[in-house]
Amino acid sequence: MSLLFWRKSALPTFSRGGVHPDEHKELTENLPIEDFIPTNVYLPVSQSLGPSAEPLVAKATKVKRGDVIARVPGGVSLHAPVSGIVKGVATGPHASLVYDTVITIQTKPGDDDPQFPEQPGWQALPVAQMLESIRDAGVVGLGGAAFPTYRKLALPKGAKVDTLVINGSECEPYLTCDYRLMLEESEKVVLGSWLIAKIIGVANCVIGVEDNKQPAAEKMRQTIAGLGLEKMEPPVKMTVVVTQTRYPQGSEKQLVQSLTGRLVPKGGLPLAVGVVVQNVATAIACLDAIRNAKPVMERVLTVSGRGIQSPRNLRVPIGTSVEDIVAHCGGYTNDLVKILLGGPMMGRTIADLDVSVTKGTSGLLFLTAAETSITRYQPCISCGECVDACPMGLEPNRVSQYMEVGRPLETEQFGVKECFECGCCSYSCPSHRPLVQFMQVAKAAYRRQERKTK
Amino acid sequence: MSEAEVTSPPTLHLSSGPHIASGRTTAQIMWMVNLSLLPALLWAWAVFGWPVLAIAASSILGCATAEYLSCLISKTESTLPDGSAVCSGLLLAYTLPPAIPVWMPFIGGLLAIVFTKAVFGGLGYNIFNVALVGRAMMMATFPVEMTTRWLTPALGNVDAVSSATVLAQIKLGGPEAVNKILATVPDGGHLWLDFFLGMRAGSVGEVSVLMIMLGAAFLLWKGIIKLYIPLSVLAGVAVMAFFSPAPTIYMLSGGIWLGAFFMATDYVTSPTTAKGQIIFGLGIGLLTGIIRNWGGYPEGICYAIMLMNILTPALNDWFRPKRLTADGVPS
Repeated sequence: MSLLFWRKSALPTFSRGGVHPDEHKELTENLPIEDFIPTNVYLPVSQSLGPSAEPLVAKATKVKRGDVIARVPGGVSLHAPVSGIVKGVATGPHASLVYDTVITIQTKPGDDDPQFPEQPGWQALPVAQMLESIRDAGVVGLGGAAFPTYRKLALPKGAKVDTLVINGSECEPYLTCDYRLMLEESEKVVLGSWLIAKIIGVANCVIGVEDNKQPAAEKMRQTIAGLGLEKMEPPVKMTVVVTQTRYPQGSEKQLVQSLTGRLVPKGGLPLAVGVVVQNVATAIACLDAIRNAKPVMERVLTVSGRGIQSPRNLRVPIGTSVEDIVAHCGGYTNDLVKILLGGPMMGRTIADLDVSVTKGTSGLLFLTAAETSITRYQPCISCGECVDACPMGLEPNRVSQYMEVGRPLETEQFGVKECFECGCCSYSCPSHRPLVQFMQVAKAAYRRQERKTK
Repeated sequence: MSEAEVTSPPTLHLSSGPHIASGRTTAQIMWMVNLSLLPALLWAWAVFGWPVLAIAASSILGCATAEYLSCLISKTESTLPDGSAVCSGLLLAYTLPPAIPVWMPFIGGLLAIVFTKAVFGGLGYNIFNVALVGRAMMMATFPVEMTTRWLTPALGNVDAVSSATVLAQIKLGGPEAVNKILATVPDGGHLWLDFFLGMRAGSVGEVSVLMIMLGAAFLLWKGIIKLYIPLSVLAGVAVMAFFSPAPTIYMLSGGIWLGAFFMATDYVTSPTTAKGQIIFGLGIGLLTGIIRNWGGYPEGICYAIMLMNILTPALNDWFRPKRLTADGVPS
């Protein structure tokens, strides 16, 4: 095809693979962010990657908005997102862990609730103190990965970093929460990015926005020009780069290549090529943590899909249940078949409505049969679509064939360990083969083997 | 606890991501290939008449019967609707002489599906191109009918070809045969044009290069095939055309166009990476030429493709996609 019709876009993008699914962003892209506070919040104590947190409250404890209610020893904290009374600490459902310790708080706003005013002299705080604030505020990657941000920003000794990449790609279909944040809170995004640049000690910051979010790119440019970052201390050169709309543009390795032309080495982090990547919502959270000493208590997420009556961009307290969001958005339609946490490419299906929003939940999608694919899979016909679609240059087709005959430990040669499960392969497979799942099972087999040999 | 009443809980599906798909399905691909083969059949009907439709029907019926029965025996869901058996049947018919007794393609189709596809595990698991194995088995089973039942096209000038295809005549008669063929063209006629349009003797679906190109253009437009394989097949044959007394006729006759665009490009039996596909195509082209020039048959594309089918797994191992990350860089 490419030989017949040569089509070249002038916009930067990553060098291989990727897909362009129907965007479906029109459902929510023009809806401003709305606040929604439910009667009860249900907070699983595990909110980020790594060791799980210990609850610090018990039944009947009165909490104020911002109180620490659980903490990972030496790590990030979880804060009460609302003022109220703890109704229980018990085992409950978790979006990805299945079960976890869940703290239930009944909302009861009081007159003396903390307001988190601007801290004097926040711009001049020492870096170590800023990192502490970020840790104590419980900031994790809000793009979905939920990796503790203070650990990502505390650079190892000798690390040479020259560029901060702010990820405003939001390449998953349906999701529009980062887009809305860039439009509505561009100043916070820019100031947060400036703070992160200061923390990691770089003078160059690139904000990557996909082509289908031009208004956000324009707004960000205006804001940067208006704030005069070159005159701040330290000065930071901030540029907005519009990239091609191509999934998975928002993946760290792909975005780094699109924006800087640098290839992240096998098994490495962007740090290895002098880049740190942060999501736009995380930049805002860092600003809140340092400027206002305000912990992560709420997040913006997109509620969308044809299976929900009124799609929205909502700002909800962490711990808001799916059930309450469904009710708030008018209920679901009769042809609903799947509920997802996250986007349609990498999100997870949930079985029950009692699951609640965690810090990493960027979307809540309600998909109808017409929107999603529920089919039995067929044999591989070796069409090579998955090989062409893979942004990492792996061979999902061959992994799947090895998995089908029960040989998971021979799949490393096809790149299993480099797979980051973006889903481009399964998306393009005409036989609907669950290629990502084959990859996941193969990786799990390698992990089991590594544990055994240890 | 909720503001509005939540209606009865829906039946929720659980699955691993991604939860959306491109919309392209295997059945869609197969039926689009079948559609793209129709111009060539229409042309065959125009120049050879009704028998070609009977041949196509017989061959498809043979393939479909075998496909249906093998699913029945293996107690699996019938794979007839996916269109792949119909595709094999059509392609097999296209490789047969237009006056072959009508029951023979049925036998060929039956054998092709059973011995090339069903016993290997069905769609996706075959090593060889199904239609071509069918043809090869028919060559062994019905050698006389497969090489003598030609028809003179109803259109065009080349009337010296009623008994054999041009390639066979050249193979037997050498340069003299070429002169003889050229002598049959009236003044002002263009032999190459007759060949290009399909006014010549030959197998059912191979005669019109133009009609094959029409079908191939459709598949290219739909992104179903890429040009790596067909172009390298043609390039390989072009190299071997230097050894022929009539290079233009060499390039426009026989089954190379049908083979290059519709058989060598079969997903299941061809490599997946561009490099692998180029080597695969060149190999087919060169082997075709070797068989044509120095082998025992006037046409070699059928065996050339089957030989390269054997190499496909190796080509997939030798020519891997380029990994994105720079290997060996410490991280």
